[in-house]
Amino acid sequence: MEITGFSAYLRSLVLLFLLSIGLSSCYSVRLVSRDGIPEPDLTNDDQDFYRNKKVFVVDTTINLKATAGSYSLIRNCGPSGFYAVEYRVNLGHLLLSGVTLGRTRKVNVKYVRLKEDN
Amino acid sequence: MAKTTSIPIEWWNNLHENGPWKSRLFHHTALAAKADMPLALDRYNDAAAEIQRLIAAASDKNEGFRAIGSRWSLSDIAHHSDQMQSNQLMNIKISVALQDLHPDTTLVAENLFFVECGNVIKEIHNFLNDHGKSLKTSGASNGQTIAGCISTGVHGSALDVGSVQDGVVGLNLITGPRPEDRIYLERSGRPALSDGFALKLQSRVLRNDALFYAALVSLGAFGFIHGIVIEAEDRFLLKRYVKRINKEEALKLASSLDFANSSFKIAGETDANGRGLRPFHYKVFINPYVDDPDYVVELMYKKPYQPGYPDPIPGIKTALYKDLIHLFISIAVKWKNSIPKLIHILQSSILPPVDEELTGMLSEMFYDAGYQGPAFACSVGVDHVNSPKALGLLVKLAREEGPIPGIYAMRFVKQSEATLAFTKFPVTCMLEIDGINWDAKGQGMISLEQFCTRMIEVLQENGIPFSLHWGKNADWGFPGLVKHMFGDRVEEWKTERKKLLSPEMELLFANGFLEVADLI
Repeated sequence: MEITGFSAYLRSLVLLFLLSIGLSSCYSVRLVSRDGIPEPDLTNDDQDFYRNKKVFVVDTTINLKATAGSYSLIRNCGPSGFYAVEYRVNLGHLLLSGVTLGRTRKVNVKYVRLKEDN
Repeated sequence: MAKTTSIPIEWWNNLHENGPWKSRLFHHTALAAKADMPLALDRYNDAAAEIQRLIAAASDKNEGFRAIGSRWSLSDIAHHSDQMQSNQLMNIKISVALQDLHPDTTLVAENLFFVECGNVIKEIHNFLNDHGKSLKTSGASNGQTIAGCISTGVHGSALDVGSVQDGVVGLNLITGPRPEDRIYLERSGRPALSDGFALKLQSRVLRNDALFYAALVSLGAFGFIHGIVIEAEDRFLLKRYVKRINKEEALKLASSLDFANSSFKIAGETDANGRGLRPFHYKVFINPYVDDPDYVVELMYKKPYQPGYPDPIPGIKTALYKDLIHLFISIAVKWKNSIPKLIHILQSSILPPVDEELTGMLSEMFYDAGYQGPAFACSVGVDHVNSPKALGLLVKLAREEGPIPGIYAMRFVKQSEATLAFTKFPVTCMLEIDGINWDAKGQGMISLEQFCTRMIEVLQENGIPFSLHWGKNADWGFPGLVKHMFGDRVEEWKTERKKLLSPEMELLFANGFLEVADLI
């Protein structure tokens, strides 16, 4: 009896572990302009690709009406366009979309605008 | 109107985290909107007024003021403990018209371009390419601002070309808050632009060789460099080869640069008599901890531009895991004898793939920098004739008093006319040591500071004349260092600076780096 209780505890623990890994595990895709110049931000001390670049983050949840098939997020990206766009997705985002039949979508996008040409 | 956003700060750091250093106020200046001021020259002159406003405000408080570019320098040359100004958004570019030329110039209008200080090299590449032109040379990458490049002497490995500053034919300086403090400076012997052009910049003209060469590598001390006239050339292609060659042969080429009589030849890069052609670029990579009979070398040959070559920029670019780099350093500091092995493991990620051949424009061969994390870089300039001996001494230093987590390279640059250019030998070999910052405290390992001091001592003890890259790590406070490197040129540089700046402005455009290096 004790052993069964322990294995149930162990199962829950493993399940919790896998769930936490699954929900937080993610990957991202970053598209970068070949010849573009990023908008600078010399106060950005991130220790990665974004260091020295001005970064904008879109972290929101979109609730779509039943009749809406797709959506566009409209943001002010300056007169020149994007230098880099990174889209991040994780299991939690996918589950949320699946459970709500695609009506609720978690959006996590990071972008850098092109430096304005003069 | 140009707009400056000013943010109080306590600390400032450079891109590769060689600081931090204390500072007080950080300004970002952006040009007036095109919709409000459609003409580029109007926006340029408006920005000049804004910079003069900032200079006046700093001067009123008896504070120093320093412009910074992309904060790529590893030394603290760009730092000021009072006020710092980021000018990357000041990026006007203007083609020079025929009527803007000086009547006595030998330069061609179609090769001249006027660029504002905050243009990074990549955007100048793009602009010139749109005109069928190219810079003559660049550094190993493209993210520095043009003003930052010339102020610190950024160079590539173009044997017969020189450094970025050697393509400059005119400078527009702001030396103070008054209208007469806007100066257009060029050589008297080789004028480029007319007085009329300077008038458009609302600047008075100075044509003076000594002042021009002193201000060319200014170390940020000759006022605010607002505009730069560069001489470009027709765009060209570079064909790049990476080869593994016998160490003795690689060093013989380094000391002689005699590619015609070398036994090392590349098929297709020989003349009609089968003698090797002189490359545009020659670079040697050295792992100081390996007794390999061969070195990896990189050669580039200049070719006329023609479209249709395969894109040399990879479609996917990967970067080392940050954590892997931190792990590397943790292991290196804990067990310093592991450094040679760790470098050997990372060698394939650092060195270019052997036998790879690529063709591309200058802008494509010296493309975006990959790694932007913590790093150190030491760069010693020696006459290329002395380069094998100097390399041997510095490798011995790393082996006997190190190890240090870095890899060596040799690049070769034609002499510059700038007074304090570290590319001061007929062809300077820049011996470079690049690696990742380490904290040696309490670990029984040589520190970067100690290593930098020992480099100077070793070269002095062995009687090898040398110079040091202004934008890289060095013991700038080493007694008599700058005088040792440049001799009488130091006084010439100081004299020209005094002629240009008022005593108040001399102080305002000075900083800790100049003080430590005994340049003010």
